[in-house]
Amino acid sequence: MKKFLAILLALVMVFSFVACGGDENTDEGSDVQVKVGYIFIGPINDGGFTQAMYEGAVASKEHFAGKMDFIYRENVAEDTQEVKSTALNMIDEGCNVIIACSFGFGDAMNELSGEYPDITFLHFSGAMKNDTNFDNWFGSMEQARYLTGMAAASVTESNILGYVAAHPYTEVQIGINAFTLGAQAVNPDVEVKVVYINTWGDAELEKTGAEQLLDAGADVICYHADSTAAQLAAAERDAWAIGWNYPKNDAGDKYLTAAYWNPEVYFNYALQNIMDGTFVPESYYGTMADGLIAIDEVSEAVPVEVRNQINDIKQQMIDGTFEVFTGPIYYKDGTVLCEEGQTLDRAGIWSITNEIQGVSAI
Amino acid sequence: MNIRIIKRSDMPKRQEIIIRIAAVLMSIVFAGLILVIFGLNPLKIFATIIKGSLGTEIRIQQTIIRAIPLTITALGIIVAFKMKFWNIGAEGQITMGAFGATWVALNLPETLPMPVMLLLMMIAAMLCGGIWAFIPAMFKAKMGTNETIFTLMMNYIAIKFVTYLQYGPWMDPNAGGFPKIAKFPANAVLPSVFGINIGWIIMLLFVVFVHIFMNYTKKGYEIAVVGESVETARYAGMNISRIIITAMLISGGMCGIVGMIQSSAIEKTLISNIAGGYGFTAIIPAWLSRLNAVSALIVCLAFAMLIQGGTYLQVSLGISSAVSSIVQGTILFFVLGSEFFLQYKVIFGKKSVKAETEVA
Amino acid sequence: MQQNLAIEMRHITKSFGDIKANDDINLEVLPGEVHALLGENGAGKTTLMNMLSGIYTPDSGEILINGAPVTFHSPADSIRLGIGMIHQHFKLVDVMIAKENIIIGQPSSFFTKGRELAQKVKELSDRYGLDIDPNKKVYDMSVGEKQTLEIIKVLYRGARILILDEPTAVLTPQEITKLFRVINNMKEQGCAVVIITHKLNEVMEISDRVTVLRKGQSIDTVVTKDVNIPSLIEMMVGQKVDLSIHREKTEKVEKILEADGVTVLNAEGKEMLSNVSFTLAGGEILGVAGVANSGQKELCESIAGLVHADKGRIFFEGENIVGKTPRDIIKLGIRMGFIPEDRLGMGLVGSMDIVNNMILKDYQNQPGIRLRKGPCIEKAKKIVAALDIQTPSINTPVKKLSGGNIQKVLLGREIDAAPKVLITAYAVRGLDIGASHKIYDLLNEQKKNGVGILFVGEDLDVLMELCDRIMVLCHGEVTGIVDPSEVTKEDIGLLMTGQKLEKEEAAV
Repeated sequence: MKKFLAILLALVMVFSFVACGGDENTDEGSDVQVKVGYIFIGPINDGGFTQAMYEGAVASKEHFAGKMDFIYRENVAEDTQEVKSTALNMIDEGCNVIIACSFGFGDAMNELSGEYPDITFLHFSGAMKNDTNFDNWFGSMEQARYLTGMAAASVTESNILGYVAAHPYTEVQIGINAFTLGAQAVNPDVEVKVVYINTWGDAELEKTGAEQLLDAGADVICYHADSTAAQLAAAERDAWAIGWNYPKNDAGDKYLTAAYWNPEVYFNYALQNIMDGTFVPESYYGTMADGLIAIDEVSEAVPVEVRNQINDIKQQMIDGTFEVFTGPIYYKDGTVLCEEGQTLDRAGIWSITNEIQGVSAI
Repeated sequence: MNIRIIKRSDMPKRQEIIIRIAAVLMSIVFAGLILVIFGLNPLKIFATIIKGSLGTEIRIQQTIIRAIPLTITALGIIVAFKMKFWNIGAEGQITMGAFGATWVALNLPETLPMPVMLLLMMIAAMLCGGIWAFIPAMFKAKMGTNETIFTLMMNYIAIKFVTYLQYGPWMDPNAGGFPKIAKFPANAVLPSVFGINIGWIIMLLFVVFVHIFMNYTKKGYEIAVVGESVETARYAGMNISRIIITAMLISGGMCGIVGMIQSSAIEKTLISNIAGGYGFTAIIPAWLSRLNAVSALIVCLAFAMLIQGGTYLQVSLGISSAVSSIVQGTILFFVLGSEFFLQYKVIFGKKSVKAETEVA
Repeated sequence: MQQNLAIEMRHITKSFGDIKANDDINLEVLPGEVHALLGENGAGKTTLMNMLSGIYTPDSGEILINGAPVTFHSPADSIRLGIGMIHQHFKLVDVMIAKENIIIGQPSSFFTKGRELAQKVKELSDRYGLDIDPNKKVYDMSVGEKQTLEIIKVLYRGARILILDEPTAVLTPQEITKLFRVINNMKEQGCAVVIITHKLNEVMEISDRVTVLRKGQSIDTVVTKDVNIPSLIEMMVGQKVDLSIHREKTEKVEKILEADGVTVLNAEGKEMLSNVSFTLAGGEILGVAGVANSGQKELCESIAGLVHADKGRIFFEGENIVGKTPRDIIKLGIRMGFIPEDRLGMGLVGSMDIVNNMILKDYQNQPGIRLRKGPCIEKAKKIVAALDIQTPSINTPVKKLSGGNIQKVLLGREIDAAPKVLITAYAVRGLDIGASHKIYDLLNEQKKNGVGILFVGEDLDVLMELCDRIMVLCHGEVTGIVDPSEVTKEDIGLLMTGQKLEKEEAAV
């Protein structure tokens, strides 16, 4: 036993020598003006939301060419303590901007923004902000959803589109409704069937949900959940698939397009403001116009006239001449969502509480 | 070569300590080897873990804040485990405790004095956590159901229930369409002492409580007897159903308190992830402490260091979250593995060594 | 010597920690011989045989099988050499049928050759006079049948050397006769049989030679027909011992306990105890005989209130106690010591020390919620001294004590409470002669004090000598309550298997 201990101790010693030889890379005088700490909910290679955010960070670093640097932590749970200590560690590491890329990280940002007035906290989604160093940012994903709905409606033969959705609440319902409106614009007979899986990140359930929709006759699958499992399920059954969050094709030939985030746009914008000292919290809402919201190149499976139509409307969105929610729109229970001749503004859109006519849940 | 495994009967304290130290050293060496394979400098990693958990005052506070739910949950689990009632349902009991506390916080007037409010929240949390543990306990006591599966399943019910509240009836209309339950009013937030929420005082009180309860009360004695032999307990005239139910009410009640602390001091609202995995993680320190309340506190503090240090590791060295999980896992593997060597002896080769078992 | 010895063990030494379980033991067994290994509990019999069956490895010394030196690394090595051990606790899978138990763990092909197996089993059964239904589930078997199955199992594996560890402990006299017939058949076929026992009359009946062990040493090997029981005892115990059990004559006080038509159903609604009626007087020992699981446990538990009698009444000093909680019954002065097979399963908490075990029955009478250990420390000291319990300290976990000392702790605690009725089940199971007699003395002392004792036993010789009356149970029914001075052991054996005695009318 003693001999064994001695060997162990010797090994520990060897390690310490190795360690002493290790290089200590210290930051020598660089011209980094902002150091950003990114807090991600998933892994950076998830092919979805977190990957989109991570690649945005990388692109932004390139954009600022030496003036911006970042560190990140992936797989952070939506647990305020976990988020707070992660952010505190980042501040210790010299970060002066914290970008928290999940809704559940908001409370931690809110608390820390009070305690650390010199640090800027940028929270994806939600509505919390203050007047100096805490802002939220989001985007008009309904625009991209509308365009993908057009693409979907142009290829369906069964006139049934499937939509795998996380939870039944405003954000998700905005997407479903915009998608439906886009689809109806191309093909008025189309019907959108929705499966709520009541979770964000359960690939198995996403797959099951997609299969349920395929069983119900859907031949195009769109989704609002974290993984690309729905795409895979659709391709397996030779149905069309539409991606989300990140332009990742997991369905091969059956991939139509994707509605996705292009967060570099916001990072460049907000970080530039911080560098210039002109940052003011504004509850940023990106659009197709500034490029935060994007749609992947549309597959050639979509008839060329529809592709042209999609490009037209996209241009109108960029020009600000097209509103997704233009009346008359009725909830599926018959109540009015938007009067004829009216359009919904951001506040109106974020007051949606149900699905519109043409949508049915299974 | 011939390998035999023999159960030990007794071991001198000194040897026990040597084995435990060896386990820790082994874990460091092996974790180090793995890190070298990843091309990382192990000593720097270990130093970073220490630095990340104890390096500054704020980090020490963060470590203790994590130790609070871990310790109280472990204490709750100890009470159940002592009875050999495998309560895997702490996660759900924490969640339901948080639910109870939240109901009180959001429904009673904001003008209520803080101590009254907090006390009511604690009572509600203990009740809800206790009830969540009581249900499987009752089924076990009356119908002999398997508590492991039952308590495990109760977790999912609790978490899904809170998810439903968060996205449904309790969704805050002022959250701009996002799924969020309203924030607690100021009188429902646990105050801090020395920069740490007073959960740490509650934690210390519970350590003392469980220690006394398990060792110096009739109920604690009964729980130990039931855990050792239900037949003996029956024979001694104990009301086994009542003991099981009482113990589980206490166990679940403590877990409920964890839910109250987490919702009041940390989240300041209710979220579906309120338990944050503590209900499962705490099983390990509960077991490592050999169901002793005081050791549980020490083990939980060490655990909290490991978790907090792991967080810092990722941030400061920019390494993947998998690496810090591997380091944590390796250390656990050896420390848990040493338990095996404390109970069994492995004999190599033909040479006979004296075996230590009961004399036949 | 022309013929090789079947077993030769030379200078075997084996220690467990500081205790030498076997110290320089020599043993020689011839083929075609029944060799008894005699010794008290703790003498090292089982340890020695476990080395022969590959469970332990000796620290020093050598083992020769059929003349060739061998080393065992595992039980498999021992089986390969044709050694089969029948343990006290059968190693059978309850939910499987006999046939499956025979082939389990065999290194045979994946598919079992059913017909071949059946044929071989039949062949073995015929050769040795074994009788078993190969398709019967083990849980449906009587103890005797299970033992037969164990024997077939080892024979099927080609055993030519059989070791039987206390094989008669759980059998009826009739089953013992049958077992001995099988052993004699094996002997005739040239097998070597080693039988571990501490029952002297069985040694005399079945064995050809005896090796006596005492405190880990081999005392002597003798030819059975050249010795008598007292000399064997002297070799075993190391001194002359008076082995007769006294039946104290006491003045019977009035009846203290009366059972009237007690019926207990189990969870499946089967009658475990059917219409049992008897009386127990103060100052009397009422023996209960029967094969295992004939309702003894239910009888004890229904009196102690652990199970509720589904029908019938139990009067204690004229008061019906059916429906009372165990706690109430304890308070009335009824005490029970039930010693199940593992000794600790009921009555004591193995991992706790003597003090904490003393608390078990008393703590409920303490006021408040605090556990007071003080008085129990005194009590533990008193009992350890009074009953001469061998223990390092009163803080040693009881499971570390030897069987006899564990029993003494249990009985000591129950007696200390000055009960009016004392129920003991298998009080001397696994105890050596000295310890057993100590227990009998304790019971007789209680009897003199006017305590009514219900003594559930398994050794008919003991029951016959100790008890004032013997109640025989079979399948939960009372088949007779007899006066031991008026019946023979065989009569009781018949009652145990459910046959009525003609002269039962004459019994008390």
